[in-house]
Amino acid sequence: MKIIACYSNKGGVGKTATAVNLAHALAASGRRVLLCDLDPQGASSFYFRVKPSRKLSEARFFDGDEKMVESIRASDYENLDILPANMAFRNFDVFLSQMKQPRSRLKKALAAVRADYEVILLDCPPSLSTLSEAVFRAADAILVPVIPTTLSQRTFEQLLAFFAENDLPTDRLHAMFSMVQTTKRLHADTMAELQGACPDRFLTARIPFATDVERMGIDRAPVTATLPNSAAARAYRAVCAEVVVRAGLDRDTGTA
Amino acid sequence: MPRSAHDCILLDPAAAAALADTPLGLLQPVVRDAVPTADFVALDDFDQTLRRSGRVLLEAGGMILLLQPDGAMLRQPGPRQGPSVSGLPEGPVKAALADLSPLRRLLVVGAGGLGRVTVAFVDDEGKSQVRLDLLSLQVAAGTALTIARPQALRGYPQAGADLRARIADCGGVPMATDNLCERLFPVAAVYDAKPVIALQADQTALDAATAIIAAYIPVARANEAGIIADHDTEFLHDYRIALRKIRSVLGLFRGVLDDGQTAELKARFSALMAPTGRLRDLDVALLEGTTYHDLLPKSVHAGLDAKFALLAEERRTARARLVQHLRRDGHAQEMAALEDLFATRTALRPGPVAALPARAFASRLIWKRYRRICRIARIIGPDTDDAEVHGLRIECKKLRYLMEFFAPLFPRDEFRALLKPLKALQDNLGLVNDCAVQQANLQLFLHGTGKRGRKVSLEVAQGVGALTAVLHRRQTEERTRTGASLAQFTSPQTARIFRGLFHAPKDRT
Ligand SMILES: Nc1ncnc2c1ncn2[C@@H]1O[C@H](COP(=O)(O)OP(=O)(O)OP(=O)(O)O)[C@@H](O)[C@H]1O
Ligand SMILES: [Mg+2]
Repeated sequence: MKIIACYSNKGGVGKTATAVNLAHALAASGRRVLLCDLDPQGASSFYFRVKPSRKLSEARFFDGDEKMVESIRASDYENLDILPANMAFRNFDVFLSQMKQPRSRLKKALAAVRADYEVILLDCPPSLSTLSEAVFRAADAILVPVIPTTLSQRTFEQLLAFFAENDLPTDRLHAMFSMVQTTKRLHADTMAELQGACPDRFLTARIPFATDVERMGIDRAPVTATLPNSAAARAYRAVCAEVVVRAGLDRDTGTA
Repeated sequence: MPRSAHDCILLDPAAAAALADTPLGLLQPVVRDAVPTADFVALDDFDQTLRRSGRVLLEAGGMILLLQPDGAMLRQPGPRQGPSVSGLPEGPVKAALADLSPLRRLLVVGAGGLGRVTVAFVDDEGKSQVRLDLLSLQVAAGTALTIARPQALRGYPQAGADLRARIADCGGVPMATDNLCERLFPVAAVYDAKPVIALQADQTALDAATAIIAAYIPVARANEAGIIADHDTEFLHDYRIALRKIRSVLGLFRGVLDDGQTAELKARFSALMAPTGRLRDLDVALLEGTTYHDLLPKSVHAGLDAKFALLAEERRTARARLVQHLRRDGHAQEMAALEDLFATRTALRPGPVAALPARAFASRLIWKRYRRICRIARIIGPDTDDAEVHGLRIECKKLRYLMEFFAPLFPRDEFRALLKPLKALQDNLGLVNDCAVQQANLQLFLHGTGKRGRKVSLEVAQGVGALTAVLHRRQTEERTRTGASLAQFTSPQTARIFRGLFHAPKDRT
């Protein structure tokens, strides 16, 4: 079982778009996937048409971590389940930190999740506060979408610095160029510079800027499902293939 | 998520159509996946192994489906690459059919049209909360029904429960597939190679003999069409066993019919079997072919292939001859005459023991046969002549027939306890015999090819030599095992049960 986080300390860079399509691509490749929507805005739940039921947003459901497991919903796609937004995130950091510990306090609840899924994918909000530390420590791979602009470049460098300062595993950071516009000179220059500076950290696959991705808000389905032959879908599948290797999913025997 | 498949429900097609069209509370039905109607065939072997076990095997549009008695539905892609179960590609259906004989052809037992549709019930966001798979079967003969499988989705228990309740309201009944098979493909009678013959203790020996023979003539006849069509080699095998059983009744029940009629009938049943011998021998030899390949080094494969090509050619000739024979009017007339003789009984001439009570008669025969086996056991050892071992095998076979014929007259559990070691012994003896026969066949084959004026290639000769050595070693090993089985079967404990059942004071004469 591997945990993959889609994370950036910057908003609107394509974290959710990546999480949604990566989740679908991984599931379509036969892996059992749980996508956790950690953003209170619930964007990835929205793309999968999953609404948090009122019953589940009641406070008592936030109490037990087992209740969180109960709030998992099947998506409309084979092998892909969703943990909707707003579910028990008060304790999600605990959930994450215990996930990988065999003698976990939440042993029973987690054992069920471990047995059911090969990948847990996290769609993170831009600011993580208490959660961030837990995500950084638990994730086998942290996938960071980077729009090739000067501002994004600086944000990514800040993240690298933060990891170094806090003794976090930098090698689990994997950056991915997002919303790439090949016609823009700035994009090309920024990508060349960043890739030169940290050659191993960037995926080869790049996600182009595409209206097909924007349309996901109307279709409310992954572009890899609705337009599997589009350039965007192909790019997401290429990202998926690289992430499988980088997160060690190709070597994973199934149990954590 | 893997979903439980153990929940197939049978529905009337009209009810299923309405179900697929009606909202489920606030959830709207949406067709997600519709596969247009395709032709299907239903398959089973001649023994109806699937029907008997409540399974239905369908082949449609390149897919193979298995409906199980617990309501599970397994599917895997085809196509089939051979006529028997071994011809199925690896997959869940094949795995669930491991109990089928690889020797048996899967025959078409029914046909019709099959369509599939998946309906999702979606909420106001367009999210599925439960799905319904509908498999509709329209049998050529007119029956139509739909198999509904509700697919609950994780996190939506209410919708799942609602759909179940709705299906029950529509008159859905849980699928018990034996039910399904009979509904779709009803048959008047199912072939049974070992019919249980209802015998009563107070019937006479003549009653018993007549009943057994009358039951086995139709078993033999039921196989004729399959032999002619050459569906698989088991038809001929069963045909011969049925006739052999009849012949042994005539031989074993000595004095039930008068001697003259017994001799005449034995000759007639032997005459029915005579034209089948050569073909059966060739079938056995060819079936062994694949095993030979595994047993021998690659260097002699070419030689073996040549050998089996020749055998196959010979089999074609032998089969053509037998088919011709079975199609003759004379054959049908003889069968009908024998059938009539044992059905009406008027032309039967009772012998001196015809009126003995069946049970006492049976006890006497079984006890006598068992004692004879014990006697042989005392003189048999590792160095005993092959002919003696062969004799023992024949005695065991006769005892087995007797015990199976008369089983309904004796307590079941004790009877089983005796049959088990007998079967084990017979298996050992059978293997010893097979090895001996095959070695002899190989020698004959070498001569045969020479006589026909064909050159026996060095390769063939080497192949045959190597194989003979392998067979000889196997035979020796099996002889050792036979000794142990025989000791077990003739042990004081087993003998005590035999004595108690078949030689109790009341039976002694
Ligand atoms: N490759 C792309 N091409 C065009 N538009 C894109 C692309 N990726 C994302 N978008 C659009 O950009 C917007 C932000 O994307 P997304 O929600 O995936 O980013 P995010 O990092 O998850 O944002 P947030 O920080 O708010 O969670 C969305 O409207 C989305 O449709
Ligand atoms: Mg987002």
